[in-house]
Amino acid sequence: MDTIAIPAINLAVIAPEVVLSVVAMALLLINVFVKSEQKGYLGYLSIAGILGTLLMLIPAWGSSVEGFSGTIIQDNFAIFFKVIFLISAAMSILITDKYLEREGCNQGEIYPLILFATVGMMLMASGTDLMTIFLGLEVLSVSLYVLAGFNRNNIKSNEAGLKYFLLGAFSTGFLLYGMALTYGATGTTKIAKIASYIAMNGVSSSNLMLVAGMILMSTGFAFKVAAAPFHMWTPDVYEGAPTPMTAFMSVGPKAAGFAAFARVLLVALPALKPEWSSLLWVLAVLTMTVGNITALYQQNIKRMLAYSSIAHAGYILVGFTAGNAVGTAGILFYMLSYAFMNIGAFAIIILVGKKGEENSNVSDYAGFGYRHPVLGIAFCIFLFSLAGIPPAAGFIGKFYLFSGAIQAGYIWLAVIGVLNSAASVYYYLRVMVFMYFKEPTEDFEWVKLTPAFVLCLLIAVIGVLVPGVLPGLFLELAQKAVLM
Amino acid sequence: MNQIPILTLLLFLPLVGALLLLALERREGMARVVALCIGLLETVLACSAWFCQCNLPVANAPKGFFLFEDLPWIEALGIRYTIGMDGISLLLVILTALVTVIAMLTSWRSITERVSLHYLLLLAMESGIMGVFLSLDLFLFYLFWELMLIPMFFLIFIWGHGRNIYSAVKFFLYTLIGSLLMLLAIIGIYLIHGSQSGIYSFGLSAILGTQFTSATGLWLYAAFLLAFAVKFPIVPLHTWLPDAHTDAPTAGSVILAGLLLKTGAYGLIRFGYPLFPEAARTLTPLLIVLAVTGIIYASWIAFAQKDMKRLVAYSSVGHMGFVALGIAVWTPVALSGAVLQMVNHGLTTTALFALVGMLDERTHSRQIEDYGGLWGKVPLLSAFFVLFAMASAGLPGLNNFVGEFLILAGSFKVAHIATILAFIGVILPLVYTVRLIQEVIFQEERRPLTLSDLTLREISILAALAIGDLYIGLHPAPLLEILKTPVALLTGGSP
Amino acid sequence: MAGAYLPIILLLAIAVCFGLGSLVFSSLIGQKKLSAVKLQPYECGCEPVGSAQERFSIKFYLIAMLFILFDIECVFLYPWAVLFKRLGVFGIMEMGAFMLILFVGYIYIWKKGALEWE
Repeated sequence: MDTIAIPAINLAVIAPEVVLSVVAMALLLINVFVKSEQKGYLGYLSIAGILGTLLMLIPAWGSSVEGFSGTIIQDNFAIFFKVIFLISAAMSILITDKYLEREGCNQGEIYPLILFATVGMMLMASGTDLMTIFLGLEVLSVSLYVLAGFNRNNIKSNEAGLKYFLLGAFSTGFLLYGMALTYGATGTTKIAKIASYIAMNGVSSSNLMLVAGMILMSTGFAFKVAAAPFHMWTPDVYEGAPTPMTAFMSVGPKAAGFAAFARVLLVALPALKPEWSSLLWVLAVLTMTVGNITALYQQNIKRMLAYSSIAHAGYILVGFTAGNAVGTAGILFYMLSYAFMNIGAFAIIILVGKKGEENSNVSDYAGFGYRHPVLGIAFCIFLFSLAGIPPAAGFIGKFYLFSGAIQAGYIWLAVIGVLNSAASVYYYLRVMVFMYFKEPTEDFEWVKLTPAFVLCLLIAVIGVLVPGVLPGLFLELAQKAVLM
Repeated sequence: MNQIPILTLLLFLPLVGALLLLALERREGMARVVALCIGLLETVLACSAWFCQCNLPVANAPKGFFLFEDLPWIEALGIRYTIGMDGISLLLVILTALVTVIAMLTSWRSITERVSLHYLLLLAMESGIMGVFLSLDLFLFYLFWELMLIPMFFLIFIWGHGRNIYSAVKFFLYTLIGSLLMLLAIIGIYLIHGSQSGIYSFGLSAILGTQFTSATGLWLYAAFLLAFAVKFPIVPLHTWLPDAHTDAPTAGSVILAGLLLKTGAYGLIRFGYPLFPEAARTLTPLLIVLAVTGIIYASWIAFAQKDMKRLVAYSSVGHMGFVALGIAVWTPVALSGAVLQMVNHGLTTTALFALVGMLDERTHSRQIEDYGGLWGKVPLLSAFFVLFAMASAGLPGLNNFVGEFLILAGSFKVAHIATILAFIGVILPLVYTVRLIQEVIFQEERRPLTLSDLTLREISILAALAIGDLYIGLHPAPLLEILKTPVALLTGGSP
Repeated sequence: MAGAYLPIILLLAIAVCFGLGSLVFSSLIGQKKLSAVKLQPYECGCEPVGSAQERFSIKFYLIAMLFILFDIECVFLYPWAVLFKRLGVFGIMEMGAFMLILFVGYIYIWKKGALEWE
């Protein structure tokens, strides 16, 4: 009886994921063995784990290593996205501790869950096989369902968890069905092989099975990145979930969805570009418009940012529709800056909020800018960046995305995007109106900064301003990352 | 190559000052003084640029630019930090520095809340406007164009009165929609130029020769024109202006009228016409019609105003109509007239807004019907009021007359009817100005008013502006001399 | 291709027909003498106590869930057992890692008190 030949496994490819998983499991065990007063240290330990992972990733930049018989790859594209995931996870962890204490649900499990979700995202960005991508997605989603419903005592959080679970499972079904059809049409789940099979056998848009597979996969991913008309879950989930997790969910998983989406469409199915770009065109326009118009009417600031995050997915889809190098680099740059500005904004929301998710209406911010000038300015920076006003990073990102669209000839798409962007300014400004104009109705005495919060806000401000003022380095990195 | 990067200093000195003020959050008196010092230093710096004109020609600089700095910035996109100053920029930069100092002085007493933030915003704004007047890279231009929007928004919004939120948001959205479409056009130019020449650049001098098909050129130019016309403001895109002026604090009105309106005209001169000569020629009749309509319509509406600030705001629309006419016909004489008129309007309207602000501070009313009989009570204030009102109406010997005269003289050959109609626009301001002077200054007192005459601070504001007005009115030759070269270069003649 | 599935399809058809047929026929030709006792739900021959829609304690669900989790994972051990020798050292290491991960989960639920009934 001879031994089975084990295919070449390159553990180095998944080393960062392995390290992070081990840290997460260790935290899980530490959590049940230490007393509850010492839970705060778990956050710092998880940040140490994230930093370690980051240090492992950075030397890998510039190389492209495959592993597990070509089902996973560590290239610049993956590394860029992984850095975004790790940053968003670390920043979310920094603002988690205080929130949990306030809401009285200080369970240490939140940190391992965040780390597991991050591992899932990293797998999605690295996956070069539909199955790997799906696996990563599941690891991510299951962790997120729990995170969304983490605040067990809050009925809205419960609702968020359940809603997210039901709709997430539903969308996963779409995705898997699409993958199955693609497999049926091409006989492989490996992304590179799908492309070469299509190129060799001239399978094209006439092949209904492949087109249906592409559409179903797009639907699944559109669910995950909250693109209209598959965005219905977003506002409820974002509003109900614990705020630090909303911050995390609106950045990391969205970026992961786009990473996998990009790899599937750009690498596996470039032959279907005419089909998917017209599909994405419609999605982009719908997503931007629905997100922005609905955001105009929101009173709850978390809900407003939820709709605004839908709109931001729309801007990214604009770059996607273009499907060229500029547009894709724009996606990367935009996701990076979006991580900083959105988590920064949510950090302020946590600071202003009171127990039981109170004080999260826009009108509760009356006079905030007077009482806390520095925080007010930081919030303004984030909001201006979200609105895409220079010199914040959000502007350069949008500029790049729309440049990609114009270069690819989608002038009208760019015009619609720009008009949307102008409309969005209104609701961001509205928050500032309340912050600076209205008389303070509350004393904001409870707003107390902790070192972790200060660190998070500092990172966010730097992350918004530096790529905004000196985008050269970041754009170069993004351009290098595009060469998949 | 000059040793001191004057232009960079001009751009960033106010920003550095703004950062300084951030540290002086709680010390209001100190913040005022620091801001004023920075403002004065900036003025000195701007005036010192005057003496650099003999630098010509500067290596690598486009023709006519006597100060020029060029550094790589975002190389991945071919964006460079290119700034330069020619005669047109010089005049506007000096105007900017001066008007900012005056804006600071006008809010010396009237702003009592959040003082350091107020001065911080004024300085940030100054940086933005300087950037607009100095940028020679389209991307940089756009950045500064947006940068000056934000402080203005907050100025109206925090220290404004009446329907200030409505006005601030209206101002912001109007300008933003225009400028975002301009951004698309900028990207469009960038890509077309890049595909034609293989060099992707936002630099003005690189892009200048780009050939557009007539339809593309028209669309791109239309986007630019829209952005500039909103700022200008050209009728019918002017409706944000009276609201914004009425509800803005005095410093806001001063900067809005004195400087922001000029950026639209400057953009048209520096970018709009040179980049799209063909499209601009196609749309010239439209611009002329709108300009003349604006001149007459705004004067008409101004006559019906009861609020002094609103009256001055509408008169601004009319005066800027002249500038639009001067640019539209694009002859050397009319163009120099237009630039000169920009400076004139900056000085005169600033003074008028400052005067209305001073009256408002004293009586808390801007309604014409609340005043009367000021001549006997506050002779100094009344004298200045009459002087600036007459300057605004175009009295010969004062500055506005020179500008309007040059514009009309320059445009007559090109557009007879428009010039004749615009001439009515010279007379109409006289009508409402005389009415204003009569009702506010000379008519009998309508209700008892207790007023104090000007303080030293106020006298210095008005005196500085009055000297400017008189100087340009009596001896505009040095300014025209400065404008000669750049205007000739722009209109295609020899310098 | 389709021929290979024919026996399965036939089997399915026969099974469905048999099931349906016996139900239909018994209801058609069987005697019906209904009484209160006969209509009672069948519960291990005991007298039924309470309503059938009673809520169970969440403890049952928890145990059931944990059982399924670890039970399913055990399924992975079977193929390994079959190919134990052919997979060699690699197999042992891989399964070791797998068991370790399971073990972490086990310790976690144990310490968390999920296995305690009260």
